[in-house]
Amino acid sequence: MKRKIWASLVATGATVFGLTSLAPLSAEAQSQVHPRFAAPHGQLVIADALGDPGNWDPIATFAISWGEIGSNIFDGLVQRTPEMKIEPDLATSWKYLTPKSLEFTLRKGVKFQDGEPFDATAVAFTFNRLLADKSSPQYSNYTAISSVQIVNPYKVVLHLNSVDPVLITKLAGYGAMIVPPKYIQLHGSTYFGNHPIGTGPFQMVSYKKDSSILLVANTHYWAGPPKLASVLVKFVPDANTRIQMMQTGEANIIETIPPSLTSEVTAQSGYSLDATGSPTVYEIRLDTALPPMNNVLVRQAINYAVDKNAIIQKILNGYGQPISTFQGNLSFGNDPAMSNYPYDPKKAQALLKKAGIKPGTTLTFDYDGSDATFAEVAQAAAEELQQVGLNVKLQPEDTNTFYNTLIPKEKAGQMYEFAWGGWTLDFDNTAYLLYHKGQFWDPDFGNATIDALLTKERSTNDQAVRQQAFFKIDAILHQQAVEVPLYQADTIWAVQKTVKGWVTPPDERMDLWGVSLQ
Amino acid sequence: MIRYILRRLFHTVFVLFGISLIVFVTVRLTGNPVAAMLQGSNPSVQAMASLEKALGLNQPYIVQYWIFIKGIATLNFGTSFVTGQPVLPMIWSRLGATALLAIGGIVVGVLIAIPVGILSAIRYGTILDVLGRGISLLGISFPNYWLATMLILIFSVDLHWFPVAGSEGFSSLVLPSFTLGFILAGILARLVRTSMLETLGSQYIVTARAKGLTRWRVIIVHALRNALLPTITFMGIQFGGLLGGVVILEEVFSWPGIGRLVLTAVNERDYPVVQASVLLLSFLYIMVNLVVDLSYAFLDPRIRIGD
Repeated sequence: MKRKIWASLVATGATVFGLTSLAPLSAEAQSQVHPRFAAPHGQLVIADALGDPGNWDPIATFAISWGEIGSNIFDGLVQRTPEMKIEPDLATSWKYLTPKSLEFTLRKGVKFQDGEPFDATAVAFTFNRLLADKSSPQYSNYTAISSVQIVNPYKVVLHLNSVDPVLITKLAGYGAMIVPPKYIQLHGSTYFGNHPIGTGPFQMVSYKKDSSILLVANTHYWAGPPKLASVLVKFVPDANTRIQMMQTGEANIIETIPPSLTSEVTAQSGYSLDATGSPTVYEIRLDTALPPMNNVLVRQAINYAVDKNAIIQKILNGYGQPISTFQGNLSFGNDPAMSNYPYDPKKAQALLKKAGIKPGTTLTFDYDGSDATFAEVAQAAAEELQQVGLNVKLQPEDTNTFYNTLIPKEKAGQMYEFAWGGWTLDFDNTAYLLYHKGQFWDPDFGNATIDALLTKERSTNDQAVRQQAFFKIDAILHQQAVEVPLYQADTIWAVQKTVKGWVTPPDERMDLWGVSLQ
Repeated sequence: MIRYILRRLFHTVFVLFGISLIVFVTVRLTGNPVAAMLQGSNPSVQAMASLEKALGLNQPYIVQYWIFIKGIATLNFGTSFVTGQPVLPMIWSRLGATALLAIGGIVVGVLIAIPVGILSAIRYGTILDVLGRGISLLGISFPNYWLATMLILIFSVDLHWFPVAGSEGFSSLVLPSFTLGFILAGILARLVRTSMLETLGSQYIVTARAKGLTRWRVIIVHALRNALLPTITFMGIQFGGLLGGVVILEEVFSWPGIGRLVLTAVNERDYPVVQASVLLLSFLYIMVNLVVDLSYAFLDPRIRIGD
């Protein structure tokens, strides 16, 4: 009997060993595109990490997964380039007639992919449709618009309820993509969500839910036809699977490489690693209503105790940028002259002593349990805080419970992870929702000076005045140490060297118009 | 037989009613969908309140439940909070993909398990038996995530036989089916072996041999048919379970199945999708088990269901 058990165990061990020793051949295989997996001529294949948004109607979702692909199907009045500059798109120019009315001159000779002409009617239809749908997640971003006036077929005026200094940027956002009135009236919104038509450089011709989409070139595109014949986007949620698609040459572009897997890309001939700063920033947020976090000295001590640069270099493998407040370097409102608290454990200890904190005091630190990278960050920060005499109890939480229940209800504890997208790249949205009294993300926090500065910057279109207001807010937040700004995350992609004209987008919105395959 | 089926279907209505109540309550305990829907937009308090009202989430639970139940009666499961698309077509397209994977897995599992189980039983105690049990042990021991990754590395990355991921054509079905099938075969082969050993020792087998029937005819026609009863029960339960989704495999192979849909819907607190998926999957599970029970009568003429 014993012999049989041993024989079974040996057989199992041998098979496991056999399989695992066969597997590393892959590193040497270093395949170029294998003929079996070669895409049709002129077709770019993308292994997409963010998944299927489930509906391609611009007003149906707020998912970045929509924006990265939808931006190639639709155009807005204005567009944000990969360099994050606002440029004309379907509007050739714009000007404020009054602080509450904005006139756009529209591009002539543009057609939707089904042949329907683009004009002022389409613009009015787009915004009227959006503002009539209160269940749209996009609705609240455009409520400053009260009505759209058609001046002539190529001129419209947006009338506003209130001044919105970020409106131009928002018009490059997903919800403001221009949609075809006749097509939607004929087929309905549900059909449109599965068979989108826009004026963009690519048309969606096949959509397999949760599996793939096929885009073909819009040869009548107003800026000239794209260089690619078609683009196949495959939804591949697992990072290892995406890497394996790179190893077989099945995909030309692989989205979102976790920092821990970047060496797989550098080891692969024929692909290069492309990293760029994203708007997403990470921090340790401190609940200023809870003791001892209600003491500014303690908050400053924690800022001095955490080595932000070491976290970027050792945990993110260098794929991150330091930040001084809770915004990235691309954000309007970020003061480039300001620097974060330096790593100074001795100063931290002195501040804790001054605050009367006894060595061994325990603090809680909640974080999103599904975020493997941040789990390492939390452990590193906990060790550093221990070195200055603070015990940290790490508490991983379920993602949605953490973001939707614990944080808004002030139950996330004394310290907690906080990540933020800042999609407008303007500090207004972030600053208002995080630091204005009574907002969802931190209902207890309030500072009268910050509230007044926010009201001031929201009431003017003068960008210089707004920037000064933000710089003052930055200074107060820094001095008050209401959080520990950690880093701005990089987005990391693997791109085959045969792909030309590709710019890795900081906001994940791919621009495929100028991309070609060698 | 007809009365038996009708009685079972009648019970099903009550079971589904209970499930509808449980899923309605539990999904609401998991948190507010509006916050999850707007997470990418960093919402304001006002935006959340406005969306909550538009989705009818500010209504009393009893009203929301009544709308849900009324919808079921007309097969209208509503629209997804997150995608705004009707729920039923969303589920059907994913269910088809999962059913294909489940069938593929069961076919592979049966093709491995039955020969291995029979050979192990008829060559009891020999090296063939040890080998058979070894294969079975491998199937039980391998974590599906690990096996899937190894198969991809060998058959896709090194040998280029099959694509790494996706759902285009038969070749994309091979690796996920084999992974699923091999793991199923582990338990299935043991079950076939044990049942066969038991059956082969029966008096009627000895009688059949004494009558001069060939050895393989006795094994396949007389012994295997009886030995398959527990195997079919097991497969029925497994198939029902597989329809619920093999989330990890769907994730690794980027297979657009129901498991991924439900997991995403739970994470996004997409109440209509979670409610409809759980209800439909429960219904399918009950139906599959009913078919399994009915199939006994065909395999063993002594069993007369409903008499």
